Amino acid sequence: MFGRSAALLVRELTTDDHHLRRFNYDLFDKVISEIQEHFQQVTTIMEKMQGENEDGQISSADENYNGALIHHQSILRNKRCLLAYMYHRANRLQRLRWQLGAVLPEDVKELLHPSEKEFVKSYSEALSSYMTKLDIDLAVDITPPKDPYIQVRVLNNIGEVLLGDQSTSLVRNSIHFVKRSEAETLISQGLLEEFTG
Amino acid sequence: MANYYDIQDILMQDETVSTVFLHKANGAGFLDPSSEDNNVARGSVVDLPLWLAQDLVQRQILHIKLPSCFNARVRKEVQADPACVDLHSKCPFYYEMGCKLVELSVDPTLGPFLLTTLQGRYKDLLCKALTATLSGNLKFLPHLTEEETRLFEAGRDSVKAFKKWRLQGPRIEKAAILGRKRNRDATPIWS
Repeated sequence: MFGRSAALLVRELTTDDHHLRRFNYDLFDKVISEIQEHFQQVTTIMEKMQGENEDGQISSADENYNGALIHHQSILRNKRCLLAYMYHRANRLQRLRWQLGAVLPEDVKELLHPSEKEFVKSYSEALSSYMTKLDIDLAVDITPPKDPYIQVRVLNNIGEVLLGDQSTSLVRNSIHFVKRSEAETLISQGLLEEFTG
Repeated sequence: MANYYDIQDILMQDETVSTVFLHKANGAGFLDPSSEDNNVARGSVVDLPLWLAQDLVQRQILHIKLPSCFNARVRKEVQADPACVDLHSKCPFYYEMGCKLVELSVDPTLGPFLLTTLQGRYKDLLCKALTATLSGNLKFLPHLTEEETRLFEAGRDSVKAFKKWRLQGPRIEKAAILGRKRNRDATPIWS
């Protein structure tokens, strides 16, 4: 009641701006059941109102109306909180698509609600098909680089990777001179780091 | 009206205000623990969250009392030295809530008071935001309201960004979401 659990749900979003929390099924379902409870109350009040109208007691109509209004507002409030929760998570997932490329890491995937996975998939497909049509990779850094090539240091053993037109073996701590546009996704995925030194 | 999905706005509306019912409301007993028949009686005093109170005020079902964080004693304190008052403990969404109450015309003197409060605190806040070091003395941080904390962080971030630009650090960085995991399973080089 009072939309307390809905507020808790929204508060979860504020604790951490970049990290995604596991989808909170318990709280989410609790809010939905609260909405149903409020709805039940509105229906009983409405029924009572109708009954009283037939009896000719019009004096308490306003009082009933006030009660129904309170429950109605509670439903709206809970709905707003639920929608905001989904909306902000979806926003974060969109941002991830731009940072990490089409494939989400496994440990992020398991935090998501099935519908969110569906969303990520369709969003990613829409974006990729748009980029293929334009024939431009829109996800690269928007500031033009001073040099098309950069030096990168490998942070983890990756193995053979096709960079440009030749395959390169990326061994841990080796330093490579690669095209910036190709290195960018790997850097944001945490596999390489830019080598300055 | 603020953005429907605005988190700050949603949380701000969760702050409670004390209200007096001008009319009876049937079937809403959950609001008033002292009621016996699932109704809120006329004249009963109930603490309601702002999202509920604001609609009911517009329909003239109830009347909002001025919350204690805007009373005369607090105003005197703020007049004495705006920068030193701990507004966060009084209400984390001090300005936003004040603005809402002005909209609902709870108290005509509230608007100008909020403006002078922010003016008084802003200069000090800005100075601290631009000079504070990362590990520096941040004793005053818990005194700031949510809005001021965001201002403070924006100031600090721009100083950081400026320093980074001066030193020409790496432009592309690892996505922040991966940060935690990597730290956990990173093995030292010599193992």
